[in-house]
Amino acid sequence: MKWATRTGVHVDRAACAWLIGRNIDKACEFIFVTDPAGVPADAVPFDMPGVDLTHHGHDCTFETMLRRYDIVDPVLWKLAEIIHEADIDDERFDAPAAPGLDIIIRGLSMTLTDEQILAVCGPILDGLYEYLKRSLILGREPA
Amino acid sequence: MPGSWVLLCYRLPREPSSPRVTIWRKLRRLGVAQLADGLVALPADARTREHFDWIAAEVRHSGGTAGLWLSQPASSAQERDLAAAMAADRAREYEDVLVAANAAAALEEPERARTVKRLRAELRRIGRRDYFPPRQRGTAHAAVTDLARGELSANAVSYSEGQR
Repeated sequence: MKWATRTGVHVDRAACAWLIGRNIDKACEFIFVTDPAGVPADAVPFDMPGVDLTHHGHDCTFETMLRRYDIVDPVLWKLAEIIHEADIDDERFDAPAAPGLDIIIRGLSMTLTDEQILAVCGPILDGLYEYLKRSLILGREPA
Repeated sequence: MPGSWVLLCYRLPREPSSPRVTIWRKLRRLGVAQLADGLVALPADARTREHFDWIAAEVRHSGGTAGLWLSQPASSAQERDLAAAMAADRAREYEDVLVAANAAAALEEPERARTVKRLRAELRRIGRRDYFPPRQRGTAHAAVTDLARGELSANAVSYSEGQR
């Protein structure tokens, strides 16, 4: 399936793309547009004003996606807290990793294209997921 | 040559009042310049534009109307005034941090460490909406650093003097 989002991807869009490929659509393909009007008819738009898969109430798009696709994995919801704070920064969650992740992806956006950012963010988010999974299982910081 | 600004022009229904308060808080957090009732501005970049995009969407969702505009002040003087007003708002916030840091110098641990943590978070928050850093920025940061190191806050004053 084709998925469309705004160009200049940052943490929420990068994490959503990772989630789509991991949990929703293994054969996903991403298109980046500058204007919501430029979304092709056969693509699902996300993280842009005026579409379904976007910010809703307090939720960032990553959280909206977890809800829409009924994903209950507690590790992903823990990751969602970090994405939420890195993106919205409203101190709704205690996520000390968020400012760091925000800066890392902001930096990547200065040196890489949108496609490259998604490619680089894959292993970063895989690692973060594993870390959060181990800390949830152990009930403390993993080594 | 004046720079580029992003303007958010919005109108919300008078009732209910809670969306008005939510939007107002979000705009305050972003450190916007209030140009008129329902018209706020920030220097244009990808981040500020995106923040306004989301707020505009929220205004519309709450039954209001909102539009985003990219604009340039017609004169450098006008832009200077705008920047000076925004810098003055931040300066007041940094001064509050400075006062709190100096007051905390007499505290014992762990209250002192707790204050450092709180003030650092506050500095980060102010920093995110500080588009035209006033000189109080350096003073406030130095005062909190000194508080963390357990030094006398007098150092903060001499540090800022040297920075000018």
